[in-house]
Amino acid sequence: MTTDRRPILLMSPALLWLFGLMVVPCLLILVLAFFRRGMYGGIEYTFTLENIALVFDPLYAQIFLKSAWIAGLAAGIASILGYAAAYAIAAMPRHRQSALLFFAVLPFWSNYLVRTYAWIVLLNREGLIVNLARWVGFEGELPSMLYTEQAVVIGLIYNYLPFVILSCYAPLSRLNPEISEASRDLGASGWTTFRRVVLPMTVPGIATGFVFVFVLSIGNFVTPALLGGGQFQMIGNLVYAQFLTANDWPFGAALSMVLIMVMLGLLMAQATVADRASGGKAGDNG
Amino acid sequence: MTTPLLSLRDIKKNFGSAQAVAGVTMDIHRNEFFALLGASGSGKTTLLRMLAGFEAPSGGDILLEGSSIAAMPPNKRPVNLMFQSYALFPHMTVAQNIAYGLEMDRLAKAEIKSRVSEILEVIQLGHLGGRKPDQLSGGQRQRVALARALVKRPKVLLLDEPLGALDKKLRSEMQLELKRLQHEFGITFIVVTHDQEEALVMADRVAIMKDGALLQVGTPREIYEYPETRFAADFIGVMNFLPVSVASGGYQGKEGPLIRAADAPELAAGSAAVAAIRSERLGVETQGENSLAGEITDIAYHGLDLLLHVKTPLAETPVISRLTADVAERLAPEVGQTITLGWSARDTRIFPA
Amino acid sequence: MADRNTFRLMLLILGLVFAFLYLPISVLVGLSFNEGGLPTAWTGFSVKWYGELLANKDILRAAGNTLIVAIFSTLLSTILGSLLAVGVEIRRRNGKWLETMIFAPMIIPDIVLAIALLSFFSLLGVKMGLHTIIVSHVVFNLAFVSAVVRARLKSFDWSIVEASNDLGATTATTMRRVVLPVLMPAILAGALLAFTLSVDEFIIAFFTAGAGRSSITLPMQIFSMIRFGVTPEINALATVVMAVSVVALALSQRLNRGGLPGQ
Ligand SMILES: Nc1ncnc2c1ncn2[C@@H]1O[C@H](COP(=O)(O)OP(=O)(O)OP(=O)(O)O)[C@@H](O)[C@H]1O
Ligand SMILES: [Mg+2]
Repeated sequence: MTTDRRPILLMSPALLWLFGLMVVPCLLILVLAFFRRGMYGGIEYTFTLENIALVFDPLYAQIFLKSAWIAGLAAGIASILGYAAAYAIAAMPRHRQSALLFFAVLPFWSNYLVRTYAWIVLLNREGLIVNLARWVGFEGELPSMLYTEQAVVIGLIYNYLPFVILSCYAPLSRLNPEISEASRDLGASGWTTFRRVVLPMTVPGIATGFVFVFVLSIGNFVTPALLGGGQFQMIGNLVYAQFLTANDWPFGAALSMVLIMVMLGLLMAQATVADRASGGKAGDNG
Repeated sequence: MTTPLLSLRDIKKNFGSAQAVAGVTMDIHRNEFFALLGASGSGKTTLLRMLAGFEAPSGGDILLEGSSIAAMPPNKRPVNLMFQSYALFPHMTVAQNIAYGLEMDRLAKAEIKSRVSEILEVIQLGHLGGRKPDQLSGGQRQRVALARALVKRPKVLLLDEPLGALDKKLRSEMQLELKRLQHEFGITFIVVTHDQEEALVMADRVAIMKDGALLQVGTPREIYEYPETRFAADFIGVMNFLPVSVASGGYQGKEGPLIRAADAPELAAGSAAVAAIRSERLGVETQGENSLAGEITDIAYHGLDLLLHVKTPLAETPVISRLTADVAERLAPEVGQTITLGWSARDTRIFPA
Repeated sequence: MADRNTFRLMLLILGLVFAFLYLPISVLVGLSFNEGGLPTAWTGFSVKWYGELLANKDILRAAGNTLIVAIFSTLLSTILGSLLAVGVEIRRRNGKWLETMIFAPMIIPDIVLAIALLSFFSLLGVKMGLHTIIVSHVVFNLAFVSAVVRARLKSFDWSIVEASNDLGATTATTMRRVVLPVLMPAILAGALLAFTLSVDEFIIAFFTAGAGRSSITLPMQIFSMIRFGVTPEINALATVVMAVSVVALALSQRLNRGGLPGQ
């Protein structure tokens, strides 16, 4: 390479864009979280820790925990389903696998709102499931299915399952079949082989999928708003409200900041799991 | 008359329309070190995988001590396989890898522990029990894979190219090591290799496979001295082939005197055949019924020995003569020189063309 | 040799998972063609709900806005993202912070970027509208474009650049005549991906659109419609939106044989 400046020249428009419209705004959020809310919305530029403290107020901490619970549930179930599906795809003949994977991921690329809406169609009071129940002869009042916590969890699972399938398929397909054969050869049953060899070796895929679903779910506000009904609050809805209705930006920023910390922590944990499984580092003698 | 340890009865394996193993019948005896030798794709791995239980035979039967194991799942067979890729569990330490098979046998913790440390000593990796496989060298990994299969004391240990991934020096060390371990543990070994030298060095008996079938089974000496087919002759050692036609009392090359052979198959007079002579039996000072003159085109060192490439009127390609170091030193051959090579009728093998 | 029962179990799992993935959207698509429009009874095949869509002024305006946003953000992000990819791959030794910065827009939760941009624009006193949606979409779109182009560059044989220089071409000519044609399929695939993402994007658009109805995009329109329940019109609209993204994705895959974009 004759000139070292040229690549930088190519990169700089994009990097400036990212700096100006991603880095700076995100830093701004960090700063906002430490200012006081103005009398009529707006921001008063005096330093305070009140917003951060307010996040840990039982009222809001509870919403945080609730969101974490829902996100955890969705991530947990999606991980199990996604792993099973990925395992099944990896067990199919090689030449079928990429087509199966493609169709498993295809829904992921259609509109999020549309996918969520599909569940409103299924679950609403005049929806398909209720009609189906009537049709098989179920009489009487059916419990409401839409606007429940379960509906939110189902919606989240539905939306993010394809990603878990992808992230679990990657390590499963890379698994050398001789490794499981070696385990069988040494006397292990199919189940033992799965539990002691296949699962531990493919855990990073599950961890990636779990963290991804969790992170996207805990900050989600679309699914709770649509499938959870108006009253149902998750952190995402709370943030949304601070910015668009309550006009308490510093508190919204503080909420987001804590949310981002939680997400970063999880992503780092996941990176550690991936690192651990990709071969122990020296001194790691179990 | 004892029953053989392992009997293969007309074992076959088809993958779709392709036949990977085409009816193999043979017996393997207790404490035998048996080598399966064959070119790439000849069906060696497939045969081993059927013995280990990973492929169901398309036909035929496998008997272990007289009873069929063909339908037995791999985890129930008293047979272990050392994989060509080693297939070590990357998330377990060396000691955990080795203990795995013993845990499957539900042995007591204390016994597992003592047997693992015992075998770690045997393979001289006592200090590395706590390492993970990716912290080991290729040779160390190979020994862990071996130990993991060996520690279960199977009736038969199958080894698929156990030394394939090692460099030449380590290979020859490990060949002796394998033999020592086989003696020490008194376990029957079936080793797959495509290195003929390795098979001859290690094995009590060698089988040569081609296109899924056995060409010849015998001791290394039998295989080396009395190859039954031209393919077997070519596969082992360095063999010179001269095209000839069958005449009365000998074999006529392109020109020159009749070539004599001591024992040869019955072939119709006038039919085409090949005479085969091993390079080390074709000598400059060798006294014998046959002789052949030509010009040295190339000289190559092979260890201490010298390989002379000699262009003769009898064959398109130069014949190769192997001289031991002392002979080579005395004669000091040079490229371009014309020499006469001789060999005995006992060392001539005749195959139909 | 995976025994037959295990294999059957696998097939069963796949069947169930695929049913779970496809049943809801299939019902949606099916209902959009139901004459009566209600899930209670099938009253015959009809495209009349699609006709209704065309008559709905709000939807048409939202679709127009979405198209404007998608086209401009795709153009901008394709140029910026491709240049970035080429620069990054030529330079090779890029610091960790740089890689993180390029990667971040793809994983940063939408809501975070959305509120950050909203605060940013309001504090600067920028009047929000379609233009703010466009520049905001470029942030994540350029990251996706550069990921797709970089994937292609990984297998790029740089010696052809040297060959071109050796044959007397200037750097600019080499870029235009050698590098660009080789990268074109990947750039187009990246552009299509960006287009799809932009058409579908809701949260960031929602936060950066500003007040008023003039800059409502299609996803925003859908969001406000589905909050009030199920109508046959939304079914038809949802079907159209889904069809557009699936076709765009299929095209993008075709252009750029290889992994799924963004993976
Ligand atoms: N699972 C399979 N499906 C289809 N064909 C196979 C399969 N396994 C092996 N074969 C074919 O069977 C033949 C024998 O293969 P095998 O692996 O047994 O050869 P090999 O003697 O072990 O060769 P190498 O020395 O290269 O390891 C080959 O032609 C191979 O392509
Ligand atoms: Mg093989």
